[in-house]
Amino acid sequence: MSSDEIGAESTATRRTVLRAGVAAAAAAPIAAGQDTAAADTEPAGTQTGPARVPLKVNGRLHEPELEPRVTLLDALRERIGLTGTKKGCDRGECGACTVLVDGRRIKSCLTLAVMQQGREITTVEGLAHGERLHPVQAAFIGNDALQCGFCTPGQVMSAIGCIEEGHAGSDAEIKEWMSGNLCRCSCYPNIVAAVRQAARELR
Amino acid sequence: MSASVVGRAVSRVEGVAKVTGAARYAADTEVTGVTHAVLVKSTIARGRVTGIDTAKATAAPGVLGVFTHQNMPRLTVPGPQTMFLKGFLPVQDGEIRYSGQPVAIVVAGTLEQARYAATLVKPAYDAETPQVSLAANMDLAYLPEPHPMSGPPVYTRGDVAAGLESADVKVAAEYSTPLQHHNAMEPTAMVAAWDGDRLTVHASTQGVGDLQRSLMAAFGLPGESVRVVCPYLGGGFGGKALSWPEPILVAAVARQVRRPVKLVLTRADSYTASGHRAETRHSLQVGATRDGRLTAIDHTLTQQVSRTDELMFNNPGQTRVIYACPNVRTTQRAVRLDLPIANFTRSPEASGGHALESALDELAYALNMDPVELRLRNWSATNQETGHPHGSNHLRECYRRGAQRFGWARRDPRPGSMRDRDGLIGWGMATAAHASGGVPGAGADLVIKEDGTARIRSATQDVGTGTYTVMTQIGADVLGLPLRGVEFALGDSAFPRSVVAAASTTVPSVGEAVVRAATQGRDRLIALAVADSKSPLHGLDPKRVAARDGHLFDTERPSRRIAHREVMRRHGKPIEVVVSPAAFTPRRFSVGAYFAEVHVDPGIGRIRLRRVVGVFDPGRVINPKTARSQVIGGAIWCVGIALTEHTLVDPYLGRVLTPNLSGYLLPVNADVPDIEVDFIDRPDPSSPALGARGFGEVPSTGLTAAIGNAVYHATGVRVRDLPITPEKVIKS
Ligand code: FES
Ligand code: FES
Repeated sequence: MSSDEIGAESTATRRTVLRAGVAAAAAAPIAAGQDTAAADTEPAGTQTGPARVPLKVNGRLHEPELEPRVTLLDALRERIGLTGTKKGCDRGECGACTVLVDGRRIKSCLTLAVMQQGREITTVEGLAHGERLHPVQAAFIGNDALQCGFCTPGQVMSAIGCIEEGHAGSDAEIKEWMSGNLCRCSCYPNIVAAVRQAARELR
Repeated sequence: MSASVVGRAVSRVEGVAKVTGAARYAADTEVTGVTHAVLVKSTIARGRVTGIDTAKATAAPGVLGVFTHQNMPRLTVPGPQTMFLKGFLPVQDGEIRYSGQPVAIVVAGTLEQARYAATLVKPAYDAETPQVSLAANMDLAYLPEPHPMSGPPVYTRGDVAAGLESADVKVAAEYSTPLQHHNAMEPTAMVAAWDGDRLTVHASTQGVGDLQRSLMAAFGLPGESVRVVCPYLGGGFGGKALSWPEPILVAAVARQVRRPVKLVLTRADSYTASGHRAETRHSLQVGATRDGRLTAIDHTLTQQVSRTDELMFNNPGQTRVIYACPNVRTTQRAVRLDLPIANFTRSPEASGGHALESALDELAYALNMDPVELRLRNWSATNQETGHPHGSNHLRECYRRGAQRFGWARRDPRPGSMRDRDGLIGWGMATAAHASGGVPGAGADLVIKEDGTARIRSATQDVGTGTYTVMTQIGADVLGLPLRGVEFALGDSAFPRSVVAAASTTVPSVGEAVVRAATQGRDRLIALAVADSKSPLHGLDPKRVAARDGHLFDTERPSRRIAHREVMRRHGKPIEVVVSPAAFTPRRFSVGAYFAEVHVDPGIGRIRLRRVVGVFDPGRVINPKTARSQVIGGAIWCVGIALTEHTLVDPYLGRVLTPNLSGYLLPVNADVPDIEVDFIDRPDPSSPALGARGFGEVPSTGLTAAIGNAVYHATGVRVRDLPITPEKVIKS
């Protein structure tokens, strides 16, 4: 993927995610009103049953039994037991499922687990070193950038991506590049403050 | 010595669990052998299921059971005392009351298998034409039976006709608010597991106790056989406040397949599963004397109800309570439509308040009076509905401080008079207000352990409001322990009974229980210390002893002291206290004032909110950090309600057309302006919770009107139908 494409994917807001969704889960027909973007069709192709799929998550190799239609999100949550990554919509609209794949933020509900073999997947469980929190995590607590906490894992992963990409230069920029992550508790100004602070610390 | 932990901007005590992914929400519950359920929903809004072909689904790989009304076990419909208000359980008969009603449940070994099999279930329907439009069915409006949760269908004080007659200036206007959905980021989820006749349900609910009681009723089980657990809740906003059918249905099918069953609603399911803010229409007549004193308010609110309930969740409380006005009538009418039951939605008084505060702005223009001045002239020291004095009410100071911070004095009131290079600027204001408390109290238990630390428990919930944190603060304050010396546990129906975590009731109810339990525990600790001959406090009058920083000390000679730890070590066994729920918590009102600036592009009608100032009086502020977050959250909810949120329903099919997060527009980070928050922060002397009142709902009222009023000020266009979208601004 070129850096342009990376940029395009990262700027995806809820208004443009469907395009990204089509690219990522090509098998799924997407229409307003359909429950999820994930493939609800019968497994097709040469291999239909489950197989062991090696996935490297937070530096550890897991080999869950998966059908090809299983999303990365469901593989993490239901097969590997890493439930920190959340499912808010299952169709690329909320960002609660954001993880890093090879350092880039992606929505794990919009990609199939089998497509991520051999990549470095980082989830919210993989950030802290023992008791020592990642600066973004600490900044979220300090700035009260969370209330119910359900969107928080996705916000934290997205914030790391946002800072890494160099999109945390100003509040306006942070707002723009964090707009793919919805927060219904509406902590947005505090999220901006947390990203601003963490960006400064990580510089 | 350090100051009290109450009033300090403490970070959330559960923050680490939430930022590391360790916090387990209902769908994260680990249960061995768990299976997955998926709902099949009706595609018609009214009629009957004439048959369901389940053969293919049943034969699909991994399927453990396909349940329809033909093979579901019969369940008892729980009564309203369990907060089950829907009136019926789906998948028990073939009748369809709304589009999206569950008609079958598929259970399979994996989520993918269940989801695929659900697509193979083929119901056949005998469909009738539904009625789903409030506008088209206003002639069906009627006055429902009074219900304690609805507020009075008709309320009158004084003589409204005479009051309007005597007015020098009158305003009459109609306002409307659309159907809206809670859209908590966590979709409702549950895992039900049976162990013989004992049922455990991990569920996303604002009321573990209510849900437990609804399950007891549905299955005819005693309380000790049903446990509901929810340590973390991914937002609720009312959507998880009532008891809903899904946990009952999932428990029923789990019993049938003899395996634990998990159901996580899809985002689309959530648009018909947990209620919504009903569409409302308001007809208001307001009269005033030339010097701006209100002579009469007549407020008729018409809202949608379902075929199976007639609850009105949008009680126009502010109209009855806050302003000094001798002649007031509020009327709540209902229109039955083929839609799901509505629900409380953050905040229930937002629509009524929006209409009232918009009408007052129109009145201010009719009087040629500043809208702040109009409100100051009608300020009331008493609750106008009950006639009782407010516990405290610093609303006038909220107006003054807000106006000053905002720079309101520089406002030119003429519409269209303020502009910048690329558009029109509008300034608007409104009062925020919401009832708090007025519900039964909560219970709690407390253990002071031998190491001098304490654990307090109550079957309440932290919806994201900060309950874990503020209850820990209150407990620590009363016990005289540092924050880390107190653990507050919630979200388990096995804990002492509490009320549903909603409607600004948690601080007045649970806070009161924590104060009571901690006071008793501290007094027992003091009694031990003064009775012990080896204690430095031996023989002192217990009234002379206070607790702070993990020590008991002589208030007349503070150096004479003993650590909690030491008292408990010598005592050798824990102190245990249980307090039962108070009969009621005082009904109060919390208030505030909002000021908003909008920018309108006159060419395309685009409205941007530029800044907001909100000043509030919640009594004493237990935690300025979490309280500020409540305000920010409420304000942003108002941005959505005012400008973007609107659930579209197909008028012919009765189907939600936007059951997702791309068609239904929630505010995103880039939509949100600078929000300046301030608190008066003076204790309410009538509060049983350290001077604090319930507050959470207040900030999600009023700002909608302030935004609408600002749009009028900017453009001269009064959009009386929410949301205020660009086309409505341009069309007028
Ligand atoms: S769950 Fe993936 S974007 Fe919402
Ligand atoms: S903290 Fe609740 S949704 Fe963001």
